Amino acid sequence: MRLRAVRTVEYDDRGLEVFSFCGHCGLPPKPAAQATKSRVCGHCGLGLVLRAASDVAPALDEPFLVVDATLSVCAVSARAEALLGIDETAAVNKHVADFLVPADANAPSAANLLALLVEVASGAGEARTAVVRPRQEFGVRYRARVGACGPPHAALLVLAS
Amino acid sequence: MLNVSPNTLRAWERRFGYPKPQRSAGRHRLYTHGEVSALRDALQQGLSISSAVSRAREALSADTHTLVGALAAFECDRADAAMESALALRSVERSVEEVLLPSLDELAARQGTDSAPWAFAARWADGWLRRAQRLAPPPVRPLAILVGDATRNELDPDSLGIRAFELFIVRAGARAMTLPVAGVSGLGEVVESLSPDAVVIAGSHLADDDVARWAYSVRSASGALAVALFRRVQHDRQIRTTGARVLPDEPFAAHRQLLALVDERGGSEYEHATVLAMPALEEIERREVGW
Repeated sequence: MRLRAVRTVEYDDRGLEVFSFCGHCGLPPKPAAQATKSRVCGHCGLGLVLRAASDVAPALDEPFLVVDATLSVCAVSARAEALLGIDETAAVNKHVADFLVPADANAPSAANLLALLVEVASGAGEARTAVVRPRQEFGVRYRARVGACGPPHAALLVLAS
Repeated sequence: MLNVSPNTLRAWERRFGYPKPQRSAGRHRLYTHGEVSALRDALQQGLSISSAVSRAREALSADTHTLVGALAAFECDRADAAMESALALRSVERSVEEVLLPSLDELAARQGTDSAPWAFAARWADGWLRRAQRLAPPPVRPLAILVGDATRNELDPDSLGIRAFELFIVRAGARAMTLPVAGVSGLGEVVESLSPDAVVIAGSHLADDDVARWAYSVRSASGALAVALFRRVQHDRQIRTTGARVLPDEPFAAHRQLLALVDERGGSEYEHATVLAMPALEEIERREVGW
């Protein structure tokens, strides 16, 4: 007997539920993909399935970027591509500051966002929020949730207007 | 290996340009084991397909760096080993086009084609390509190609491309013979013996007059033949004349196009072929019998 409504729920060490989502389209993986152990998204085929705790995992309509501990962009979701006007294939391996910079007037320094990303990508920090803007644009600001995702360890930066 | 559908692989090819398959005679995609396994390893550790593709590309380009390094250090053994390792992941054709020729191009750009390091590298590459041709299987197609070599000498930058072109023709099961365009005496005997289905004039060093004289000798001995040009610089003027087909500069694409054309037309003349400017040849044709 198969119970379609039942799914395995995982929790991280803080007791928060862990969600899986595609790094490109943001959709949760198909059950068939879990059976084949493939990390490639069964919906769009253009992203790998990532995992993040519920306090940072993106909702379906939220654009996001994935950044590693060297602050290189590793993934850009389809919605983030449209929002920021960048192409993931061109953005990958470039510094995150080429696309997003801190825009919080109250932040002590610009280095704080980068330090937060490094800390989170190293698996040490907790989910936090920051205010960012596209590098070449003024007057547009996004509240961003920054938290850990993976595998492997990386920082997830979810943009919300 | 990758646990993805053919549709997904095609989508990756469109979006990322990787993996880049060759095509079979029936237009099926042929993926190399090396590319797919490099991608599989990168996917296991990656955060996105883009970053995995980038890592897989880096892994494959390591062979080129190794070959350039070996040739720059004048180490034949290490250069041979680099090609061996390229062959472990790719076909001979792709090893030549993706590793050997780009490495030589890099050395030519870095050292100049009149330098001693280039001479060493070009001689090594020429020897490697000739060795690969000797190891090719015997001809299985009733097809022979005569290549007229219009390059300066073996150090001419086009020379290696022509060697690769000849190698690919031989590996495709046809017979190929390369003769210098500068030598015309006794050419009739060679042509009668080979009975070529097509003639390719390759290289741009020699003038149109020399090429036309050689081509006329070939035509006198063999009758009307299909003519194609490979890595021969086109002139500014476009005159409707010999109907010679201009082949792409890449040896693999060029050999595929040539064999397809000869197969398609059964070795007959190219009546509707691309127009090419060769005023000297046109002049000779006007004086003598037309092609």
